[in-house]
Amino acid sequence: MSTLLTHIAISDGKIKRSSLEVLSHMRQLAEANRHTAEAVIIDAEASNYVDEVKKYGPSTIYTVEDPIFENHMNTPLLKALTKVMDEAEPYIFGFGSTESTKDILGALAANQDAAVLSDVSEFELTDEGIEAKRPVMAAKILSDNVAEGDRILVSVRSGSYDLDEGDADADVVDIDFSIDDSEIQATLREIIGASGDKIDLAEAETIVAAGRGAKDEEGQDLINELASVLNAGIGASRALTEAGIMDPSLQIGQTGKVVSPQLYIAVGISGAIQHVAGMTNSKVIVAINKDPDAPIFDIADYGIVGDLYKVLPPFIEELKKIKG
Amino acid sequence: MKFYVCIKQVPDVDAPIQIKDGKLIQDTDRMVLNAYDASAVEEALVLKEEHGGEVEVVLVGPDKAKETIRKALAMGADKATHIATSGDEDYDSATYANILATFFSDKEYDVISCGKQSQDTDAGLAGSMLGEHLDLPYATNAVGLEAEEGTLVVKRQGDAGQEIIGLPTPCLVTCSNDMNEPRIPSLKGIMQSKRKPVEDVALSDLDIDESSLQPKTKVTGHMEKPEREPGQKFEGEPEELAQKVATLLDEEENVI
Ligand SMILES: Cc1cc2nc3c(=O)[nH]c(=O)nc-3n(C[C@H](O)[C@H](O)[C@H](O)COP(=O)(O)OP(=O)(O)OC[C@H]3O[C@@H](n4cnc5c(N)ncnc54)[C@H](O)[C@@H]3O)c2cc1C
Ligand SMILES: Nc1ncnc2c1ncn2[C@@H]1O[C@H](COP(=O)(O)O)[C@@H](O)[C@H]1O
Repeated sequence: MSTLLTHIAISDGKIKRSSLEVLSHMRQLAEANRHTAEAVIIDAEASNYVDEVKKYGPSTIYTVEDPIFENHMNTPLLKALTKVMDEAEPYIFGFGSTESTKDILGALAANQDAAVLSDVSEFELTDEGIEAKRPVMAAKILSDNVAEGDRILVSVRSGSYDLDEGDADADVVDIDFSIDDSEIQATLREIIGASGDKIDLAEAETIVAAGRGAKDEEGQDLINELASVLNAGIGASRALTEAGIMDPSLQIGQTGKVVSPQLYIAVGISGAIQHVAGMTNSKVIVAINKDPDAPIFDIADYGIVGDLYKVLPPFIEELKKIKG
Repeated sequence: MKFYVCIKQVPDVDAPIQIKDGKLIQDTDRMVLNAYDASAVEEALVLKEEHGGEVEVVLVGPDKAKETIRKALAMGADKATHIATSGDEDYDSATYANILATFFSDKEYDVISCGKQSQDTDAGLAGSMLGEHLDLPYATNAVGLEAEEGTLVVKRQGDAGQEIIGLPTPCLVTCSNDMNEPRIPSLKGIMQSKRKPVEDVALSDLDIDESSLQPKTKVTGHMEKPEREPGQKFEGEPEELAQKVATLLDEEENVI
């Protein structure tokens, strides 16, 4: 019997859904293979999240609580994760693939001499370790991968697994933690542009994404209005983040975020493979583009060929009526 | 400032590819400088132009990768080290990070720059692995760099906001292509690149026993991603289209 441990990421006072997706899958794997599923919360107020995590049925929840975890910094997080690995001795350690995870996953694997697969879209246990699928070549191809050893780290793309609640009877183990200022060589000077009330694109049910076609003020106004009618998160192509028109955290694609909403509306986006890499797992894709040959139409369920400035106003009106 | 930029040669993701017996076959065998590494080279060149210093690129790869080294030299890097491999290895990020760590163990530098990920695999691991092996302060996913006396100031794209991080040198940073537009080598740059020094290093020169490089992860196959079928495409009067699609989203798809 081995331990399948899941890292529970907290951001803006909320548990990242992607970590609960991983925990749900890990618990199912544990049940099917007679392993134990455990979870760890590392946060300034880690204990606040224990009850919510319990619902997903881990048998033990480790907490590491220290004010240093208020903001993401890699040195303290790595130190905490290595302590947790010493304590829990996980066979598999799973993470939701957030930007904070990406910051430390390689370093943790190097520190622990563990095998690691990042950004997988699914994984299963084998006799020697895990096998996993990963999108590669700008997500045009799926690769089959194996990771072997007695310590394996894996990070999972958001939206890969459904949430599944389980038996809610967990032990809670607090892990003692302290870090000396002298251990942290890097200094976090400032955080720009983080606002608590933004919709997290990785978790959004609906996303309105704007591209170069919607770059002027009128286009932006229409995007904002459409998003507000649908209570949607706003995303962007690189053309707009690069031009400084949209906040860089809104970029969707290979460099930006990977999303998997129920509804993705691409407005004035051509559909370059590097953009599509981040959104092809959306359930329903709508594209609005004036070029009938734009590649985005190859993957859109509903394509509207037309000028977005003419299409969006009546579209917004119609949606308002439906929303009633 | 002395910069080392770790650059990798990767298959061009825009070129047509096929899968034969689970292996990826690129019709044109078009290999390119990893786009994220091109941004790392560009940024090092900009900082060198501002503050002086030297930019050296390091690549682990087969002979064919020389053309990628030339590209970085043509952009303006001063010199290069080519750590040669046979070309039929199936190394993972950890293996490359191990080789690079051994190479850097006796080197002096202010900054090691990597790309934030390989464009073909999107692994995003080798940079922070290398930072850990060398026990360097590091930051990943940088979208901007500035140099101060003894400190590299990194603007890092985090989950929500941008973190401004001061890293004491020597340090390591992994770069996003959102940092800059890499320059296109000029004719003069291309001519000059041919005279720039490229040091060839064999794995045996680094006292690396190739059999110790067993990767812990392996790619066992590839498959085409099940493609999305193009759906319905509507052309005509904007009002009608808007109404039709809105109704379909509501009644057929139930996503409104
Ligand atoms: C390594 C790498 C990583 C990358 N990562 C990303 C990434 O993460 N995300 C990303 O988005 N890109 C990424 N890119 C860039 C990508 O290749 C494209 O350049 C980018 O996605 C283009 O953005 P766009 O579709 O908005 O602009 P364009 O390609 O210029 O398309 C604009 C579209 O708007 C349409 N249009 C114009 N006016 C109107 C109008 N009035 N009404 C309707 N339609 C109109 C046009 O027909 C056109 O199709 C990456 C590139 C590289 C090399
Ligand atoms: N063979 C290599 N030679 C030089 N640098 C490499 C090599 N492999 C990886 N890197 C560096 O690590 C980054 C990619 O890491 P990864 O996504 O884990 O493959 C690249 O952008 C390079 O900076």
